[in-house]
Amino acid sequence: MDQNNSLPPYAQGLASPQGAMTPGIPIFSPMMPYGTGLTPQPIQSSNSLSVLEEQQRQQQQQQQQQQQQQQQQQQQAAVAAVQQSTSQQATQGASGQTPQLFHSQTLTTAPLPGTTPLYPSPMTPMTPITPATPASESSGIVPQLQNIVSTVNLGCKLDLKTIALRARNAEYNPKRFAAVIMRIREPRTTALIFSSGKMVCTGAKSEEQSRLAARKYARVVQKLGFPAKFLDFKIQNMVGSCDVKFPISYEPELFPGLIYRMIKPRIVLLIFVSGKVVLTGAKVRAEIYEAFENIYPILKGFRKTT
Amino acid sequence: MAYQLYRNTTLGNSLQESLDELIQSQQIIPQLALQVLLQFDKAINSALAQTVRNRVNFRGSLNTYRFCDNVWTFVLNDVEFREVTELIKVDKVKIVACDGKNTGSNTTE
Repeated sequence: MDQNNSLPPYAQGLASPQGAMTPGIPIFSPMMPYGTGLTPQPIQSSNSLSVLEEQQRQQQQQQQQQQQQQQQQQQQAAVAAVQQSTSQQATQGASGQTPQLFHSQTLTTAPLPGTTPLYPSPMTPMTPITPATPASESSGIVPQLQNIVSTVNLGCKLDLKTIALRARNAEYNPKRFAAVIMRIREPRTTALIFSSGKMVCTGAKSEEQSRLAARKYARVVQKLGFPAKFLDFKIQNMVGSCDVKFPISYEPELFPGLIYRMIKPRIVLLIFVSGKVVLTGAKVRAEIYEAFENIYPILKGFRKTT
Repeated sequence: MAYQLYRNTTLGNSLQESLDELIQSQQIIPQLALQVLLQFDKAINSALAQTVRNRVNFRGSLNTYRFCDNVWTFVLNDVEFREVTELIKVDKVKIVACDGKNTGSNTTE
């Protein structure tokens, strides 16, 4: 009886009120061991003997194994109990016994012969596994994305002079730089458009904004009469920044910012005495977050105490 | 060769209209009109660079910009032209600016 509380959640479902079950329908058939060719037969041995057997078994084994076996027994016993109860219901047998069977799983049968536990994974953890608590707490600070650089291929050759003459907010100085520099206000970004059809989009604050902006530039080029497509959009670099909110001590005379090149993830961090941190070199947002979580405990160690 | 930038100004347009009238009435030949305009270019460039001394400030919001063939084109909105003596407000102004040799030369339309 005392084992009722230790039922894992999935087995507790088996102890649900009988009203949920329709006689004759093997709703617990998925719990049947597949392929064994065996259907659990209600064992007609007396209840008291089963209890004694189980108690002996418990005393002999270690707790984990004991619990494992208990679970197996309970589950298969519960299954058998269901079969018993349904068969009893069907035959309109002693219905008084049925609630007993569900209240105390141990009063039911011994483990069915020949059945092997085919569900090791739900059975083995007796207690819910708590995720390992990290040694240090998370910083609670989230780096903010400041700049995203992305590239896309418009898929056709472009006449930059035409674009510069007809598009708004465009600069083209081929003597200085062989691309048209175009800007849009929403999202506030700058694009470098090359005659090959390739384009670089900078200045967006999020991945989605960068993509949206690149699409807007592609539409401008398309409206000027070029067969522009939107091929191979890729985010090349992401820059984030945050503040650890405490001063950091190192040698600021050498360089106002410390350059920390993290190996994994491959991110470059600029760390300043004020406690501001700039992270760059990421291809995905998660790398920025991960790099900051890696550096935060290190920075705490270098906290300026004066 | 001076910029022909200033032909599309009030002064330049008046000159061109007058020349066209003279051509129509057969008083001058088109070649002469062309020479007149070239001389106008030289004169106006030199006058703006050397003779004009007053200074005007202006401030407005930028609507569009363009830079192509070393020519800047701006369109500003709600502009205030401020000279020491007076203030002029306009809703829209287009600025076409070419590279100056000595000082910046520009015209507004």
